Amino acid sequence: MTETSTRPRRVLPQRSSTKGGGGHSGRRGPRRPPGLPWILPALVLSVGLLYYGIGYTGYISTLDWDGISPDPEHVGARNYTRIFHDPVFWAAIRHTAVFFAVTFVVQTLLGLVLAVLMHSRLRLAALYKVVIFIPVVLAPAIMAPVFRHMFAPDGELNWVLHHIGLGSLAQPWIGQTSTALPVIMFITIWEWTGVTFVLYYAAMTQIEPSVLDAARIDGAGNIRLIVSVIWPQMRGTTVALAILGAIGALKTFDVPYLVTIGGPNYATEFLGTYIYRQTIPLNHVGYGAALSVILLAVALVVALILQFASRERGA
Amino acid sequence: MRLLMTPKARLRPLSVLAAAALAISGLAACGGSDSPSDAGSATSGTVNWWGWTPTDTATAQGYIAAFNKQYPDIKVNYKLVNISDWVAALRPALASGKGPDVFDMQPGAYVTQFKSFAVDQTALAEQALGSDWKSKVAPIGISGLTADGKLTALSVGAVYAGMLWINADIFAKYDLRPPTTLAEWKNACQVLQRNKVGCFVQGAAQQGFDQDTLQSIANSVQPGLWTKVSKGEAKWTDPGIVRTLGIWKDLFDSGIMQPGAIGYQQYPDANNDFLTGKYGMIMMGTWYTQYATTKAMTAALSAAGVRDAKPFPILPVAFPDVAGAGNTSAMYGDADFGLAISTKSKARAAAETFVKWMATSAEGQQVVADQLNDLPALTSVRPNFDNVELVDPARQKEPVQQLVTTAAGVTEPRMSLLNADVQNGILAAATSVATGKATPEEAAKTLQQAAEAAGVTFQ
Repeated sequence: MTETSTRPRRVLPQRSSTKGGGGHSGRRGPRRPPGLPWILPALVLSVGLLYYGIGYTGYISTLDWDGISPDPEHVGARNYTRIFHDPVFWAAIRHTAVFFAVTFVVQTLLGLVLAVLMHSRLRLAALYKVVIFIPVVLAPAIMAPVFRHMFAPDGELNWVLHHIGLGSLAQPWIGQTSTALPVIMFITIWEWTGVTFVLYYAAMTQIEPSVLDAARIDGAGNIRLIVSVIWPQMRGTTVALAILGAIGALKTFDVPYLVTIGGPNYATEFLGTYIYRQTIPLNHVGYGAALSVILLAVALVVALILQFASRERGA
Repeated sequence: MRLLMTPKARLRPLSVLAAAALAISGLAACGGSDSPSDAGSATSGTVNWWGWTPTDTATAQGYIAAFNKQYPDIKVNYKLVNISDWVAALRPALASGKGPDVFDMQPGAYVTQFKSFAVDQTALAEQALGSDWKSKVAPIGISGLTADGKLTALSVGAVYAGMLWINADIFAKYDLRPPTTLAEWKNACQVLQRNKVGCFVQGAAQQGFDQDTLQSIANSVQPGLWTKVSKGEAKWTDPGIVRTLGIWKDLFDSGIMQPGAIGYQQYPDANNDFLTGKYGMIMMGTWYTQYATTKAMTAALSAAGVRDAKPFPILPVAFPDVAGAGNTSAMYGDADFGLAISTKSKARAAAETFVKWMATSAEGQQVVADQLNDLPALTSVRPNFDNVELVDPARQKEPVQQLVTTAAGVTEPRMSLLNADVQNGILAAATSVATGKATPEEAAKTLQQAAEAAGVTFQ
């Protein structure tokens, strides 16, 4: 049996045909051009903008500064010690954790189920795919007023509830602390399930049909097939989505800012909205920078934890 | 693999270039002095004016059109920025030097934040009104706009708050009288709610408007207490403030405040709801007087999305004596906005001409007065009601004129005594009490701590 491989063949560099080797040993190729000019634009961009920006933010985080006065006061680590005694910061962390857990689980479930459905013989599947993905391309700034209206006390949701006999459930959804965060999570799930769906859909195309056929022959039903065959093969995609979801949760800003402005009473405050609140309206640029540094550190730690966890399970 | 480094000599020109760029940027940062060598022409040029008020561009265009009758060669571009985005938009614009020539300035936190970008206008005021210029301008428009001895802006007009506005048609339809006590207020709300009409609408998510309602309640509890606390002459834990927060909580519990009020913005949510006739009452200040006119009311209804807008008469009424202590809640106010001139303006002379005309000329101030958006800064100018078309003059003329007369004598400050941190603390106290997350005592204590942390000293 001939072994076939889908891996690209490794192309070996051609040896120099120059007689005498031109001063190079026989094992080495011709002298390669210097690499620095090639990577310089990217280097300048990443080091100059990204890492300089991070370093400068770290420096600002040691200042008590309003962002414009010429004589900021150096306060060392005081901004950081203040943060750890700031109840709004801890509330933002709690909201981020709950937000990530709920949106990730729900999006994963919905994305997986929708991807499985779209791989079955479904009529109008192309249309459904478009409908599922459209929210991803709609700007939150455009959708925020729609959702503000929909969840207002006299909005469409309460109108529907009243007209189907569930008027007792009608409430000011974004005007009370108990329901404001769930509304933000609902909007996020609506917006991003399309991405989860697309990634799972693409990953499922990599599953060998023969594996599924074998499982069917062994008597596996649809649920068994999803749980025992498809889901385990989606691990890589799920880990990637978890990392993206965790970082996205830490960076959450647009939806809570546009829909609830972090309120009511900080009920939808996230690190992003709190950094903005401290830096822009309150002019605590140093404090906002310290919060940003903490956000960066938390994002790195979360990404590393998820990476290591996935590797260990993979091993 | 071995990295092949470029010889240092080849990098030298790059480092020189970088150093030059840094030096140039450093020099650029030193620019923007208070007295540019070329201020441009005083009678021609383009002036970019940014403001959060006038809140509708039609009013601003009215001012500009009147200005252009006298100065046709100065083009003024008005850019309306929502007040919630004001700081975020203005700060980088001013810092970069690409921002406005003229910008709105409000007493209080904004003066603190933007004073370094504003030209001192004392000389301009003296030039326009003489050495005794202070006697010709409402004092409330000078003190709040002055910081570190610098007049950061010339007041265009003042606004006062501490009253309710009612929809006169709704009150007439249900045979209601404006409430004068908390009990009457609750009763009016019950009548309206029985008839499926909203009672009182407030955007309690927006700080300034919560502060207005709290200051009015405090004035009912103990006149002058709010100002004393704002100055640091009493503490936020004063029993009068605790009582104020307790009454504030009662407004929510008794159904006076609409459901979900703490998730509402005063602009646009509450404003739109009131102007579309969904509610009978709203807490707004004298800037709402403009909506007593047919023109502004029609434009506002249209902006709120009402098709075939039919204006209705609104009336100012005194804030009820919610504490039952027999105190008529006094009004309070500040300069609504002054016009500041950017230190980095390249058309400073033309900008000065515009500001001078708006704030110190009889013509400009009359236009401002007749719009009823602000009460004019010049004490000699009053709205000419012959030029103002009210929606229902029979019902509106007397209360509106009475409001203008009363406001002229108000001396209690509104926002000017509080910095951004204390204002943020007031919002946190108001929302935590409203949601039941804190008792009035706890919220007052937290507010006191926030004020002390913000550097306010208390006697």
